[in-house]
Amino acid sequence: MVPLAEPRKRALRRELAAIVGAGGVLSDPDELLVYESDGLTLFRALADFVVFPTSAEQVSAVVKLANREELPFVARGAGTGLSGGCLPAEGGIVLSLMRMNRVLEVDYDNQLAIVEPGLVNLHLSWAVGPSGYYYAPDPSSQQACTIGGNIANNSGGPHTLKYGVTTNHVLGLEVVLPDGEIVWLGGRTREAAGYDLAGVFVGSEGTFGIATKIAVRILKKPQAVKTVLAVFDEIERASAAVSAIIARGLVPAAVEMIDHLTIQAVEDAFGCGYPRDAAAALLVEVDGLAAGIEAQAARVVEACRDAGAREVRVARDEAERALLWKGRKSAFGAYGRLSPAYMVMDGVIPRTRLPHVLRRVNEIVAAHGLRVGNVFHAGDGNLHPNILYDPRVPGEETRVLEAGAEIMRLCAEVGGSISGEHGIGLEKTDFMPFIFSPADLAFMQRLKDAFNPTGRCNPGKIFPTRKTCGEAGPVAYRPHPIEEKGLAQRF
Amino acid sequence: MPAAPLDQLRSLVGTSHVLTGVELSPYVVDGRTPEAAVFPGTLDEVRAVVEIAAGAGLPIIPWGGGTAASVGHPPAAAALVLGLRRLDRVLEHEPGDLTATAQAGMTMASLQAALGRGGQWLSLEAPQPERATLGGVIATNASGPRRHLYGTARDLVIGMTVVTGEGAVVRGGGKVVKNVAGYDLPKLFVGSYGTLGVIVEITVKLRPRPEDERFVAVRFERLADVGIAVRAVMASDLIPTSIDVLDGDAARVRALRTAAPTLVVGFDGLAEQVQWQCVELERMTAALGGRDAVPLAHDAWLAMTAAGRDAFGTPAAVMRLVMLPAHVTDAMAAGAEAAKARGLACAWTAHAGVGVATAALFSPRQTDVEPIAATLEAWRASAHASGGHATLEWAPLAVKARVPVWDDPGAAGRVMRRIKEQLDPKNVLNPGRFLAGI
Repeated sequence: MVPLAEPRKRALRRELAAIVGAGGVLSDPDELLVYESDGLTLFRALADFVVFPTSAEQVSAVVKLANREELPFVARGAGTGLSGGCLPAEGGIVLSLMRMNRVLEVDYDNQLAIVEPGLVNLHLSWAVGPSGYYYAPDPSSQQACTIGGNIANNSGGPHTLKYGVTTNHVLGLEVVLPDGEIVWLGGRTREAAGYDLAGVFVGSEGTFGIATKIAVRILKKPQAVKTVLAVFDEIERASAAVSAIIARGLVPAAVEMIDHLTIQAVEDAFGCGYPRDAAAALLVEVDGLAAGIEAQAARVVEACRDAGAREVRVARDEAERALLWKGRKSAFGAYGRLSPAYMVMDGVIPRTRLPHVLRRVNEIVAAHGLRVGNVFHAGDGNLHPNILYDPRVPGEETRVLEAGAEIMRLCAEVGGSISGEHGIGLEKTDFMPFIFSPADLAFMQRLKDAFNPTGRCNPGKIFPTRKTCGEAGPVAYRPHPIEEKGLAQRF
Repeated sequence: MPAAPLDQLRSLVGTSHVLTGVELSPYVVDGRTPEAAVFPGTLDEVRAVVEIAAGAGLPIIPWGGGTAASVGHPPAAAALVLGLRRLDRVLEHEPGDLTATAQAGMTMASLQAALGRGGQWLSLEAPQPERATLGGVIATNASGPRRHLYGTARDLVIGMTVVTGEGAVVRGGGKVVKNVAGYDLPKLFVGSYGTLGVIVEITVKLRPRPEDERFVAVRFERLADVGIAVRAVMASDLIPTSIDVLDGDAARVRALRTAAPTLVVGFDGLAEQVQWQCVELERMTAALGGRDAVPLAHDAWLAMTAAGRDAFGTPAAVMRLVMLPAHVTDAMAAGAEAAKARGLACAWTAHAGVGVATAALFSPRQTDVEPIAATLEAWRASAHASGGHATLEWAPLAVKARVPVWDDPGAAGRVMRRIKEQLDPKNVLNPGRFLAGI
């Protein structure tokens, strides 16, 4: 990509400032660095501008300006993504939506809320919580990630086993299309006339346009919750217990697995009460009516015992439950205690294949001379092998990438998918052919062309690229720009 | 139809699987008779049929059980019906994964029976399950009462194999319950009325069959009080699978035998959960004017889903309205007034908790289109007033000529047309039947 000439850059900066205000444009390379990465620090790319619009009209004006100047543009939320999906792969303009962070309306009678894309996921549940409601999708980064970013990635979370992922909770969106037109896709009602445009927009990783208002469902908080911790001496038994729970006709709200290595990290960091000598632990939650909740928890306990759990206990109170969940949701951060760097993988398999796949994952990583920690949504079959490594050791990062590709191939071979919730972004474009044929990809490309004919809206994502010899592969690991500045630890 | 493509079709699928002439009477829609109906037996045959049709310039009408064939503008002239009924098998069902893959031509009844043998079900209902096919239910986005808790096809379909208008086999989604790789193509085909591809195979999420299930009917003096009760149930701790409302005229159906506005609420789960909720519902509704809470037999419940249509003989039109849940009973009351003011009768049923109503209109003079059209327009306006929309699900041609079948989707319609142009550039798939000129 050719950098913009200085005079043109200055002129554009003035125009952008006229749209979003002088305080809403960054173009100084030092300031731009913060926006060079998302949570996957393997990839970095520098924008020419980062702008902070505060309305759909401003987003539209920036998009129209980008089109006039034939510059690529990409929307960005909190930057917690894990596949490089919000990176300005080819320069141009980043539209940060962090200043559009309001809850615009809550309609309890119709159990919906209208929010702006920069609203932090958890803040919506805070806003409606006092009235007895919550927003169900709960990615582990929910304290930081935004609803707009969740839309792009169709984000999941532990409780999606029972309650579904983001797309199951989005009614409609106001979007700025890649040509700058503002249009509602879907609305507030449960169905819209015609094609389900909101349905295809969610999960399109920012390539179909930029959401500026989002109508989401809010749910009544369940009357009762029970959380069960089951401890296993063998990971295979824990895997088998997952299927055993499902086979008993139970639909838990969540079934999470945490393996030995991850338990070490979590206990070192937070002391959440997971037994350090366990090979694996399952965190199973049932929720719903108070009536029958004990019976459901008892069935979970029984299923785990029958599957060979060493110890099974039901969290005594909210404090114990919160501590167990803290361990689960903070696991990624805790790996920092064990290793200077780690690569978060995301794949999905049919849950009945868990025992086989977990064994193979461990073999693959070991064969590359590396360590892996597993903490994942076992109930959905959504794996997160986290490969630990030291970027200072020459060649180690290459081995991580090789092992990662083998794990993706394994997921595909058993009938699974190469991403359950983190998206394809820049990271996995070349794995797409593992699960999609050329005809499938060509069809998706045409769908993209219907929304984004110029390709300027978030270019370089999702679709496989053919790297030429001269082109560099992923660059070596470096800390995230905000870590370098001492502003934050890696999440 | 020229002899050459017909011969090609016959040699492809066998003469007995190509219907012509008088055999086509079941496939006549809005007075239009197709050129032929062809029934391929494999995915590859579907692909080849599309190729032959597209090559001969014949529009293709994908056809499941035909239960929703009346929905939409009149079909294209000189079209080929592509029937999926021979593709009627479960391809994969792994109970431990709570997923199944089935062919599109399988009827809902036979699919549920097969899944039931594994203790599971697909939580998607459609009228006439003995005829309606899985593919048709998905293509028309049909749903039933239990969508209140379990959602619709968009929430349950995780993967799909389709044949495009150019004869390409395309797979979207996958076989796992959570998947964000690539665009969510299954969403695009749900409710697309066969305009973007011929759906051939579908992978769905399943649920375990509940231990216990009950539907409870509660009668009220006034429709407005039913509305208050619906809101109370929604704001309560109850977790109903369905919240349906029938107005007095719809409630005269045999299963209920009342002329009072009726609330029907469904519960499932463990026996103690169902029991507690039934008691709680009776207590709540009694305080709001509800009386005679009675459990319904499950088959009675299924018969009731078509209650409105059967209220007064043959309807003059049937309209489906989508609106905000809180507006449903007001819209029902206003809709009945609008009909009465024009000397017409009507009957309304609604999945009130999700804001989806079906209204049947009856006229003593079916040929007098004017009051029928005016009433339907008034109904549609009430859906619009609540941010919703309406579809004229069934009406004679004379009424369809006066009242648009579909709503104008506005600016979103342009995006829909671009999608149609990109994905079916030769416009061979069900042309002209859908909205926005698609």
